[in-house]
Amino acid sequence: MKAKVAFFDFACCEGCQLQIANIGEALLDVLDKIDVVEFREVMSEKSGGDYDVAVIEGSITTKHAIERIKEIRSIAKVLITIGACASIGGVNGMKNNFELPEIKKYVYGEDEKYFDSVPTMAVDQVVKVDYYVHGCPMYVPEFVTVLKHALMGLPYKAPEKSVCTECKLNENECLFDRGLTCMGPVTRAGCNSWCVNNGNICYGCRGMLDDPAKTGQIEILKKHDIPLEWVTNKFNMYNKAKDVKENENE
Amino acid sequence: MDKREIRKSPYDIKQGKILDVKQMTEFEKSFKIALHGGDLLDHDPGQFVMVSIPGIGDAPISISSSPTQRGYFELVVRNVGKLTGALHKMEAGDTVGIRGPLGNGFPIRLLEGNDLMFVAGGLGIVPLRSLINYVNDNRRNFGKVSILLGCKSPTEMLFHEELSHWEERLDVNFSVTVDSAAPDWRGNVGMITSLIPGVTLDSKRTFAIVVGPPVMYKFVINELLAKNIPESQIYMSLERHMKCGVGVCGHCQIGDSYCCKDGPVFCYTKVKNNIEAL
Amino acid sequence: MENLVILKKEDLNDFVMQIARTKKVVAPVRKGVKSFAFEEVTSGARIDLDYTSTILPPKKYFLPQKETIIEYDKRKKEWTPTLYSEEIVLFGVHTCDLFGIQCLDIIFSENPKDFNYILRKNRILIIGLECSNYCDENASCALMDNQNPNGGYDLFFTEIDDRFIIHVNTYHGEKLINKTGLCTKADKRDVSELRLLKERKRNVFKNEVDIPYAELKPLFVNAMKSKVWDEIGEKCVSCGNCTNVCPTCYCFDIIDDINLDLNTGTRTRVWDSCQNGSFAEVAGGENFREDRGERQRHRLNRKFNYPVSKFRRYFCTGCGRCTRACVAGIDLKETINALIEEKKGNENG
Repeated sequence: MKAKVAFFDFACCEGCQLQIANIGEALLDVLDKIDVVEFREVMSEKSGGDYDVAVIEGSITTKHAIERIKEIRSIAKVLITIGACASIGGVNGMKNNFELPEIKKYVYGEDEKYFDSVPTMAVDQVVKVDYYVHGCPMYVPEFVTVLKHALMGLPYKAPEKSVCTECKLNENECLFDRGLTCMGPVTRAGCNSWCVNNGNICYGCRGMLDDPAKTGQIEILKKHDIPLEWVTNKFNMYNKAKDVKENENE
Repeated sequence: MDKREIRKSPYDIKQGKILDVKQMTEFEKSFKIALHGGDLLDHDPGQFVMVSIPGIGDAPISISSSPTQRGYFELVVRNVGKLTGALHKMEAGDTVGIRGPLGNGFPIRLLEGNDLMFVAGGLGIVPLRSLINYVNDNRRNFGKVSILLGCKSPTEMLFHEELSHWEERLDVNFSVTVDSAAPDWRGNVGMITSLIPGVTLDSKRTFAIVVGPPVMYKFVINELLAKNIPESQIYMSLERHMKCGVGVCGHCQIGDSYCCKDGPVFCYTKVKNNIEAL
Repeated sequence: MENLVILKKEDLNDFVMQIARTKKVVAPVRKGVKSFAFEEVTSGARIDLDYTSTILPPKKYFLPQKETIIEYDKRKKEWTPTLYSEEIVLFGVHTCDLFGIQCLDIIFSENPKDFNYILRKNRILIIGLECSNYCDENASCALMDNQNPNGGYDLFFTEIDDRFIIHVNTYHGEKLINKTGLCTKADKRDVSELRLLKERKRNVFKNEVDIPYAELKPLFVNAMKSKVWDEIGEKCVSCGNCTNVCPTCYCFDIIDDINLDLNTGTRTRVWDSCQNGSFAEVAGGENFREDRGERQRHRLNRKFNYPVSKFRRYFCTGCGRCTRACVAGIDLKETINALIEEKKGNENG
């Protein structure tokens, strides 16, 4: 029996679901293994609440979203988050740089009172997540790996190594040596240093390492004469949601 | 890229058929395995095998049966990781991959003719059982035999039937202690080190074989040295993260030694100055 | 003298193009602004003869980052040891890297022999390239005595003025030279110029650290409890760059990949690093090298201590890659100097 898989989106750009739609040929192999019962971006059918695996894109930003994700969790046997918004809060977390009433007023103006809004959270700040696919957008090979692990009932965790590890293996010239500030040293690997391979810096979209070695990180900034705020500002672009305390939005 | 099959690879895997699975405690299961086509594993006590499950990987597991046990071998496995978790889901009739036997094993020829003191803490009894059963099956080749066993609680104790058999045997001096127990436990309560002072032994001809969790070694060795057992007559089996099993990949390295190839059995003299060993 | 031939520099392009017609040729090319990498070339145009050690050493061709060692089929319960390899001509290898390859040869030729390595290696023809000067200030090739070749190549190129003087070291190398038909015999003038260059090098390459070669091992043996390791541990972020770029680091992990059919797949050998936090952790959770300082100590003991007892040679080539690649600024020569200073301090009271 094929697993019934439903895709749901919360606050996001739906770019990760687009990544799945764009997988290409490998998608046929994927579809051979699962039954997609809900996927707004590519089909109009709804699951009617009958699914085994829920794939979640987007962060939790409203009280309504909190209720909705709780309901999905109560149905799904397995819950997978895809992309930075769902997995770590992502760019939506930038909202948390401001006081909530202030930012609501700025965005909605006079109509502010009609809109339900809470500080941005990653999905695992509300419900238990079984598998994470990180990245902005999510890294497709990691999605396929996670899917295989989920189908086999095996645990999967992104490697506890920094992006630098993979970047060096790809023989990229270190961006610090070019005078740039890169989030590689603190960011969890698993993307095969996708951005740097394509001429960009790492923005930290996969979230911070469990143990980033604080004293060593300060040493890196010292060596390259980089102020700490530069790094924290850049890192907060994707990682601000982690500051929200447990139950703060309940 | 051209592809070819490699006839002689250190990573070659034999098929092992699971004959029987037995739940030992809440976390440990025992597996009886026979190699495909009746091949013998032909191991020495103290050696280990790499167990493979395709798509999941492999893991080092010590062999807990004696080579005197023909036809099959036994692995006792605690469910702690990806591979062991998957292994625990397998049943009699299933096939696993077996690579090995690997490692050096206990120095049996050296032990013959001498008195033996086995000290096992926790899961240490699993590899040690291989040697204990070998000695019991060749009992007249060895002198006095004492077995000291320690574990956290009576519920975590493995090999119940065999333990009571060892206890009954006249040619084996057996004692056991637990860290803590319910009131109905009639045996010793305390650390394994508390059993050592009470053993009467001829230190010159006694070899101590110690297997247990990493924290145990220092304390046990101190007690053994206090009993005047020479350093060169203390052997232990160390646990490390083995991956390749043939002394290359680096994971199990202890200073300049590879646990998988130079060990897992080490003489105390070999490792006492190795800062990474104990 | 019979084993020396001459290739005009202007013919290098033809030389490479001729070989590239039938074989994969890899050579140092520029990567980024000031870095280099070994990559496939089809002519001499992209080759940079005046290169600083490449980001990754040529070990990537001998021990690929990810390599199939077994193919399996769950349904058939079969594991088939497998090798994927190809013919490669590896051009422009510095003497430090030649030594690095020799170290790997030793490791994988030990029993049980690693036929994945050995059979792959046999299909790689190695062309060395003489260094007449230092790459940069990070190198310590004179300390490790690797500024001159000690074998390990099929052909060895020395660039002098408008030509290469090529030492033909093996029959395979000779066949390659003959096939191109571009080389001429060396004469007396070539031989004397080659000798002059070697003499000039003696004044260029000088031990970069204040310790004799033979004293390096005792320095590390006696530094197991050094404070230097704690200091380096504070700097280290465990990215593993130092080991990935090291020509003699060969630690690996073994990982099963499964295809989407969930039945067939491969067991692969992938580069791993002793700097990873979980490298020495067992399934039960015990971590035998939890501290970053301990891990750095282990890395350097694997260069300057352990292999000396086993193979009577250091496993440091002096290439300087670990220093270049460390984003936190851990510097090999500084580390050795710090150990020397500490030793002097201890001796003086």
